[in-house]
Amino acid sequence: MKHQKDNLQFNPQIQIMKVSYEGIIEETDSNFFNWAKSTSIFDAHPFFEMLREFERNKDTDKTELNFPCIHLEDSNTERICDVSFILEKKEITCILFDYTSKYKDLNQIAQQKNESILLAKELELKNKYLLEKEEFKNSFIANINHEIRTPLTSILGFVEVLEKTKLTFEQEELARIIKRESYHLNALIDDMVDISKIESGTLKIIEERFDFQNFIDGFNESYSKVAKEKGLIFETNVESNIQEFLIGDRTRVYQILNNLLTNAFKYTEEGKITFSVTKNLQRTNKLTLNFKIEDTGIGILEENIPHLFERFTRFNGYKQISGTGLGLAVVKNLVDLLNGEIKVTSMPEKGSVFNVKLPFKFEITKAAPQKKKKKYTLPENKGKFRVLIVEDKEVNQYLVMKILISNGNFYVDVAINGEEAIKYIEKRKYDIIIMDLMMSPIDGYQATHMIRNNYGDDYIAKVPIIGFSAKGSDNEREKCLRAGMDDFIKKPFGREDLIYKITKHIAKKAAE
Amino acid sequence: MKLSKKVVLLGPFGVGKTSLFRRFIDNEFSEGYKVTLGVQIKKKVIQLPDGRELSMIIWDTEGHSNSVEDTRRSYLLGSHAIIYVFDLTREDTYKDLYKDLEYLKNTYSKVIIKVLGNKLDLVHEKEMKANLLELNIPFDYLTSAKTNKNVQDFFSDLAKEIAE
Repeated sequence: MKHQKDNLQFNPQIQIMKVSYEGIIEETDSNFFNWAKSTSIFDAHPFFEMLREFERNKDTDKTELNFPCIHLEDSNTERICDVSFILEKKEITCILFDYTSKYKDLNQIAQQKNESILLAKELELKNKYLLEKEEFKNSFIANINHEIRTPLTSILGFVEVLEKTKLTFEQEELARIIKRESYHLNALIDDMVDISKIESGTLKIIEERFDFQNFIDGFNESYSKVAKEKGLIFETNVESNIQEFLIGDRTRVYQILNNLLTNAFKYTEEGKITFSVTKNLQRTNKLTLNFKIEDTGIGILEENIPHLFERFTRFNGYKQISGTGLGLAVVKNLVDLLNGEIKVTSMPEKGSVFNVKLPFKFEITKAAPQKKKKKYTLPENKGKFRVLIVEDKEVNQYLVMKILISNGNFYVDVAINGEEAIKYIEKRKYDIIIMDLMMSPIDGYQATHMIRNNYGDDYIAKVPIIGFSAKGSDNEREKCLRAGMDDFIKKPFGREDLIYKITKHIAKKAAE
Repeated sequence: MKLSKKVVLLGPFGVGKTSLFRRFIDNEFSEGYKVTLGVQIKKKVIQLPDGRELSMIIWDTEGHSNSVEDTRRSYLLGSHAIIYVFDLTREDTYKDLYKDLEYLKNTYSKVIIKVLGNKLDLVHEKEMKANLLELNIPFDYLTSAKTNKNVQDFFSDLAKEIAE
């Protein structure tokens, strides 16, 4: 018999029964199930009810049916058996092969295998859920970012316009406060976007070659002014053996140091702030710099130090100082991302010391001079230049108009969307277009594409276009350039930045 | 006259076939997964609306890993109904359901085939139904062996159908 041959090594116990086609047990050896002779097999176990379906075998040949791994039990015993039925002319021979121990071993293996598959599926599902949640969070932050930056652009822009008017001392002071708080809000949005990018792994480290002394001078210049305003001493000590040009993510290093210096000034009311840079390690073209920011401020309690870099951490007693508790979390994340280290020591009422170690590279060959921001001037003897502002929000239209008109070199037209912009350019020649991106029915990208491709007239097709948007993503600029624009300005923008970019592109076009 | 009908529970492993089996037969449920090896068989007598009694012999089979074709054919011999169970929380248990159903319908053309989505307690019913419809996944009932939702109703309806 097939089962016996296949599984001899298990030496199964066997029970053999002869059963009539009516289901009556005619003979049994009762080896493990004590089912009585002359009783119904259908009552022994529901498995045998299937015998009701078997028709009497009319052939002389025997028919064999095999059922592996059947759980059988009666009031005394429980077995896992392979069951064979041999259908004969007068009766059915029923053979039970007891493989309980073999199947129990297999059961354990199957349990482990299936459990591990189910666990993997569960983890996969959880991971998918987390990714979806993360995606939702990031798109939510991107939208919030856009929604906040749009009005912020107007606030900052109009404050700058306001500052150019005749103001009383009190009005000047109020404008200064609005400006300061708006910049603070802007910095907060930057932090929020950065945290979100770091967490989603989308923040890119961009290495560039930069003038290190110039970089440090920038801090010296800005914070000397702050120190003077607050009546503090600000000292900068930079070790002289540091290379003039370094390679690293200048923007992110600036963000780290600027955040720490801002904090030092924020929490220090009297005394001194020292900013030192020393060379820590140098090997071939790599070096590590140690930046130390030391203040004589209010300090941090020892038990609070381990929580200092957690998000939204602000300690009691400092509530009078504005802040959200995101700044140091961004710093720590950026330091980690740059493969650096950050350490803090502090004593309440004495001050704090932040030590940041960051790796850089440098060129072994002699450095080329650093590119400086090129100066542009508007072409002379051409009168005023005509600018088309394509923007759907009235407040932004008004702001850009105000900046350009007060500059005195521009005539300004306003179109409320891409569709209207197309009508305008067909009627009038423009020297430059300032193009918002999100508008309907035709957005900034579509409008640019139409301007670049639908006109044989070079004056229209090659008009300089500057995209502007409150979307803070790194890709936005690239997306604008790909759409055919010449440049991009992120909202909120400064008055000078806007004028610089407009001047640059008009000058470049004139030089062609 | 006492009717006796064989009903086989089929489907991928871990979808809750044994839980449905236990819930229906003994009104019991336990958390945690316990593999079924081979087949376990139990009987439940159901009173039909016309007064007849139906012995439902339920075969709770070992779940398959890939396709229903892996299920031992002898287990399906002489069955009157097949219940194909899938897990509402695991897309992999229903995304290729149509292939299994096609096989079953072709091979057991005279057998009643029902499709159950189990673990309803873990999903949002309305959204899940909409999702299944969108994916074109056929189902007869959505059940929860844990909360007993729709379990008794399903088996009662099935009993009536197979007794006809």
